[in-house]
Amino acid sequence: MGDVLDSMLDLMRRLPPTRIEENLNALLGMCPEYADDLLGSVDQPLKLLTDKSTGREYLACDYNRDGDSYRSPWSNEYDPPLEDGTVPSAKLRRLEIAANDAFDTYREMYYEGGVSSVFLWDQDDGGFAGVVLFRKVISPDASGQAPDGTSEDATGSWQSIHVFEASERGRTAHYKLTSTVMLELVTKSAGVGDVNLSGSLTRQNEVDASISDQSSHIANTGRMIEDMEIKMRNLLQEVYFGKTRDIVYDLRSVEGLERAKQQRALQKELVGLIKR
Amino acid sequence: MNAQERVNAAANLLVQSPPGEINDCLTDIRVIINDDNLLQQGIDQALREYNIAQFVTVQSPKGDHHVIISDAGRVGGDTEDRFFDPRTKTSFFFDHLSLEASDPNTEEANEDIEGYRAALDSAAQEYINEHYKEGVTSVFASGSNNLTIQLVANRYNPQNFWSGRWRSRYEIDLDAKTVTGKILVTVHYYEQGNVQLTTEFTPTLTLPPSSPSPQAARQLIAQITEQENTYQTSLSDTYHDLGEKRFKTLRRALPMTRNKIDWDKVTGYKLGAELTASRGGFGS
Repeated sequence: MGDVLDSMLDLMRRLPPTRIEENLNALLGMCPEYADDLLGSVDQPLKLLTDKSTGREYLACDYNRDGDSYRSPWSNEYDPPLEDGTVPSAKLRRLEIAANDAFDTYREMYYEGGVSSVFLWDQDDGGFAGVVLFRKVISPDASGQAPDGTSEDATGSWQSIHVFEASERGRTAHYKLTSTVMLELVTKSAGVGDVNLSGSLTRQNEVDASISDQSSHIANTGRMIEDMEIKMRNLLQEVYFGKTRDIVYDLRSVEGLERAKQQRALQKELVGLIKR
Repeated sequence: MNAQERVNAAANLLVQSPPGEINDCLTDIRVIINDDNLLQQGIDQALREYNIAQFVTVQSPKGDHHVIISDAGRVGGDTEDRFFDPRTKTSFFFDHLSLEASDPNTEEANEDIEGYRAALDSAAQEYINEHYKEGVTSVFASGSNNLTIQLVANRYNPQNFWSGRWRSRYEIDLDAKTVTGKILVTVHYYEQGNVQLTTEFTPTLTLPPSSPSPQAARQLIAQITEQENTYQTSLSDTYHDLGEKRFKTLRRALPMTRNKIDWDKVTGYKLGAELTASRGGFGS
């Protein structure tokens, strides 16, 4: 018999990505003793919350959760309020504030909308770790048209979760990054019915970079995450619009298979003739 | 959750298995539940539901073709698990866990409709051979007025982490002169991720006006061919729209400046003063 946690994670990698929360809750109910491991290992859709003191929206995930409360990156306060909620050290909080500013600029330049949040925490070994989150959702307007004019009833969302660990070694720092992008595309129209193309991809990377002062960490993680998002956007494009479409065409051919075979044979023959 | 609730929850997860992966999901669930006896009783109904909903096929006890396990092919009651292969007029017992057919028995077909059914079956076989690499079709008759055409194509490629399934079902009511169709496509891609395509389309078809005849059967299959071709082309167009428009609206490939971000500038402006004060490592 294998390991229970591995089996639960394997199962979550197979079951429909559109039902992550429901299925995760079922597993939590079945094996409550694995709650912490499961919640820490399965990426869930990011929650959108509003900071009560600044009115600004932020993102919630397992990394800014303490009990049933979530910490806002803008006010550093928990909602619902916590007397003794975990917060970063004063020094790390200063870096967190600056990182939120920097990644908010990044968000505007790449996403032209959406919400970003950065959370940092101190590590026992003297280093620190963090998560950088982006979320953008498009939904149909009042006329039922998506902002891009694609379909009668169209929604879509992009959610990135970048978890990293930083450790300083003299004038350089070593960064370990795990990135997950969840991309959901849903369309409903008379001509094609319901189409749902959803899921996530995960990739890892490790980077060494020089540091001159604390702000170097922001530039270093910024470059690392920007490179990763560029790479993952290409990957998503390839998998979503290339691979899954190819599989549909592997199941069924619009053109008759016999005819396609004949055409290939004819083409081969022509190539042979030209070569001669 | 008590033991029964855990098994029910497991059954609800099992029926969501992607194409060709039910054994992998079942293996995981066995480890999670850790009580094979309890699990076996509890998932019996889930497996039955899954196999019928997913158009699972089995080698016919007579002949070398496959037949779709269908609610339209049930012989006897709902829990008897006897199904029908209309092509060889054979009923058999189907084991939903081992996916094997046994105990074959020859049945009598309804001769009023058998000619038309057989003509649909033969035209449908020609159609799937021409358009599906690994297709299976079964045509079931019920009473003298109702027929069900089902077809399924599977491609499993676990070495390259993907699988796919195309299901179509057309229900013909000769009395009401209607044909209702449904096409379902499921694709799973899971190399370092979990991406799934699920589609559902209900095409509109019209029953050829002539009386049920081999010619009318060919006309109906020709119509299905055309509908499925059109649908597949529309789906391809949708892919194009999603990729070229929606995806780009969600996140740009590069900022408007067409350059990557100058991080020294982004951090430099606001942070210089604030952070140089805190030079040094953390935890010091």
